[in-house]
Amino acid sequence: MDKKRAAFFSIFLFLAVNVFALSNAIEGYYGHEDGRVYGAVTVALISTLLATVAFFIWKKAEYKK
Amino acid sequence: MSDDKKQTHHEDDKDMIKLIDNLNRKDDVHLNRRAFLKASFGATVAIGLATTPFGIFTFLRDENGEVKRVEVTDIDDLAIGESRNFNYPTKNEPAILVRTPDDKFVAYNNKCTHLQCPVFYEHKENVLLCPCHKGYFNVDSGQPMAGPPQRELPKILLEIKDGKVYAVGREIRHG
Ligand code: FES
Repeated sequence: MDKKRAAFFSIFLFLAVNVFALSNAIEGYYGHEDGRVYGAVTVALISTLLATVAFFIWKKAEYKK
Repeated sequence: MSDDKKQTHHEDDKDMIKLIDNLNRKDDVHLNRRAFLKASFGATVAIGLATTPFGIFTFLRDENGEVKRVEVTDIDDLAIGESRNFNYPTKNEPAILVRTPDDKFVAYNNKCTHLQCPVFYEHKENVLLCPCHKGYFNVDSGQPMAGPPQRELPKILLEIKDGKVYAVGREIRHG
């Protein structure tokens, strides 16, 4: 798979990861499980960062002449 | 194919051409692969960032440190197989202390995790029972055993010292 396709599909992967992380953060918050909240926030922020990188890789490939 | 049919096909094609003419250009511009990916990326970022407030509030809550130490009862005041209601950690949060048949002390917030009815200790069956919709909880773990409740009762951590029972903390999810 070329870089552009990989970047394209990875964004959906990161979307799924973030949905999962958000649900964990909410459950952890209301269950007073602090470790779970911090874990979920960390995972979500890392995956958001990676998604941003992937998005710019895709953008560069998509719009190049 | 008969001429007749050909004729209708021809007409259909004409209709199709008209349809293409009418195509909503706006949709064409906004509903495409690029726009779809951009929207998905936006959603990813939004959902990812939405976790941070939970982290911040958890941190702030930590700082407040709600660990309280409260005397509940004298050991001698509670016979084996008996229970007693008290409030912990605040006056508005009812809790139940049980001295189980094997002489252990356990305590839970006794608001049923289904619809918040009070939970009672059933001495004969050695279970915590919520009479509202017949929810049963295990006395030793606080986990739901039967009926509608899906979550465990918040567990109150106890300490026994000098013949007295103290409540010293709480775990909402446990076991
Ligand atoms: S409120 Fe306890 S079972 Fe419904």
